[in-house]
Amino acid sequence: MAAPRTAREKEVRRDLLVYAGLTPFVLIAVFPIYWMLITAFKQEPDLYRMDNVPFWFNLPPTLKNFSTLFFQTHYGDWIVNTMTISAWVAVITLLTAVPAGYALARLRLPGSENIGIAIFMTYLVPGIILFLPLSRVVATLGLQDSWWALVVVYPTFTIPFCTWLMMGFFKTVPMEMEEAARVDGCGQFGAFIRVVLPVSLPGVLTSVIFAFTLSMQDFLYGLAFVSPGDQKPVPVGVPTELIRGDVYYWGSIMAAVLLVGLPVAVLYNFFLDRFIQGITGGVVK
Amino acid sequence: MTTVSLSGGPEPAVRAAVVSAPARTLERAWWQTHNAQRKIFGYTLLAPAALYVLLLVGAPFLFSLWLAVSDANVGDPVARFIGLENFRSAWEMDTFWIAMQNSVVFLVVAAIFKSLLGTSLAFLLLQNFRGKKLIRGLVVIPFTLPIAVSVLSWKWMYDSQFSVINWVLFHAGLIGGYGSESWPIWLGQPQLALAACIAVNVWRNFPFSAIVLLAGFTSVPLEVLDAAKVDGCTFFQRFRHVVVPMIFPILMIGLLFDTVFTLSDLSVVYLLTQGGPGNASKILPVLAYQIGIQAGNLGRGAAIALFLVPLLLPALFLVLRNLKRREY
Repeated sequence: MAAPRTAREKEVRRDLLVYAGLTPFVLIAVFPIYWMLITAFKQEPDLYRMDNVPFWFNLPPTLKNFSTLFFQTHYGDWIVNTMTISAWVAVITLLTAVPAGYALARLRLPGSENIGIAIFMTYLVPGIILFLPLSRVVATLGLQDSWWALVVVYPTFTIPFCTWLMMGFFKTVPMEMEEAARVDGCGQFGAFIRVVLPVSLPGVLTSVIFAFTLSMQDFLYGLAFVSPGDQKPVPVGVPTELIRGDVYYWGSIMAAVLLVGLPVAVLYNFFLDRFIQGITGGVVK
Repeated sequence: MTTVSLSGGPEPAVRAAVVSAPARTLERAWWQTHNAQRKIFGYTLLAPAALYVLLLVGAPFLFSLWLAVSDANVGDPVARFIGLENFRSAWEMDTFWIAMQNSVVFLVVAAIFKSLLGTSLAFLLLQNFRGKKLIRGLVVIPFTLPIAVSVLSWKWMYDSQFSVINWVLFHAGLIGGYGSESWPIWLGQPQLALAACIAVNVWRNFPFSAIVLLAGFTSVPLEVLDAAKVDGCTFFQRFRHVVVPMIFPILMIGLLFDTVFTLSDLSVVYLLTQGGPGNASKILPVLAYQIGIQAGNLGRGAAIALFLVPLLLPALFLVLRNLKRREY
């Protein structure tokens, strides 16, 4: 190829190079999702024929996998469980992490930096170390075999993360806003609720999203604490109930995980930068 | 005062008023000063979160230390102290050492691949090109999908007979037909099982490395690079002496978080192989789960999980140091 003559040509060539480099990454990243999608709509016999090209439908697409899911399994229950658990976790997280983040970021408490770091570090204590003692806690509370166990347990990682996140948010709100509110006669609590909180709404919303998405990322606690079939959240119910022995209903399994996975992935995608910022920068941001 | 209130004596309210009225006129009590009120208010706001974390992370952690030195069992609520017996029996278990070795191999191999793929991807995403947002959104999907979801998709792709990976390899002429010796059974062959699990971990987390690195790259102010250019630095010199020192902390912290997540994750291996075939892909978290929950031996399970601590501690320590340094 001749050397590029104009700046425009140069630019096009560079773009093409970048696309060529990115193509394998995109293919690797997206293929499993595509594979879930196509499997979910395929008829059973279409899944098990190696002589056809498997990347497209060889028999007409079907919704049977979805109807099986909703009418012959606990899938409906799992969706409801997942949503209810996440909603409770979000409420608990908001009620604790938002005030804590505010106190640590704004009220110049002695030792607040260290307390903040200590709380954040608990986010990094892995579930695999905590799940055995927590199984005892759950049993003591009489919550084993019910999804309420997960409502109690999930805040152990959403609270530290969201407290840290909210600390970062509150630090970006100008101090003058509160001072003005205090001068105008608001109490400390009033300044927090009526002035600082409304302008930090994006941060609060972000915390809610993370309470949802981080809850959805759990597998261990759900697996260890909830065994009745109708009490599980989706990520635990599908692999433990839809797989029986060596019989795999791949069509239904893929339909089941797709319905939940895709919305979570899209939602998380929008907030990914916040997550990265939260754990790498946090306070300083 | 106490005697008065205990005996339900006359007018305690009056007494209180008598005590506090002069105090207010002379000098406000310590808890009434502005400073103290702020602190009381602050610690009240902090208390729910701090208590939750103390009760459900701090206490369980200490409790796990107790479990590890006891003979706690699912069936038997009364646990006795048995010293380091659980650690000793784990230490003498072949499976434990296999799991330990697999965990370390898993961690190191996966980290190498994630760094390589993540760095390349970050450099590509650093360029300006059309459709950047969309492409970025697509390549981070593996990290944003709930883990159990994506592992199930991989399990289907690794199917022993209808694996789409094998279909491609077969039609590319790289392997023989189903049933032949060169037909790989990804999750069923001891040499392949751990590699298959590592591949899923790499697939899931390389976008994380890339995005963390990208944040590092973009935080290098362009003026610094320009200044270096004006001073006559070559591209490589600029990279070596300006970019690397500036992004290194962020690269490190990305890897540290990844280490913590990877070491303690059980879902990939548990869902794909349950540690099999035999113990070929068994890692510490899976072993701890199988002994602690499935076999009901809480004590020994806790001891095995605690063997992760020495592996995690250096990473946690470095994270902590980094966070502390960032405060100033």
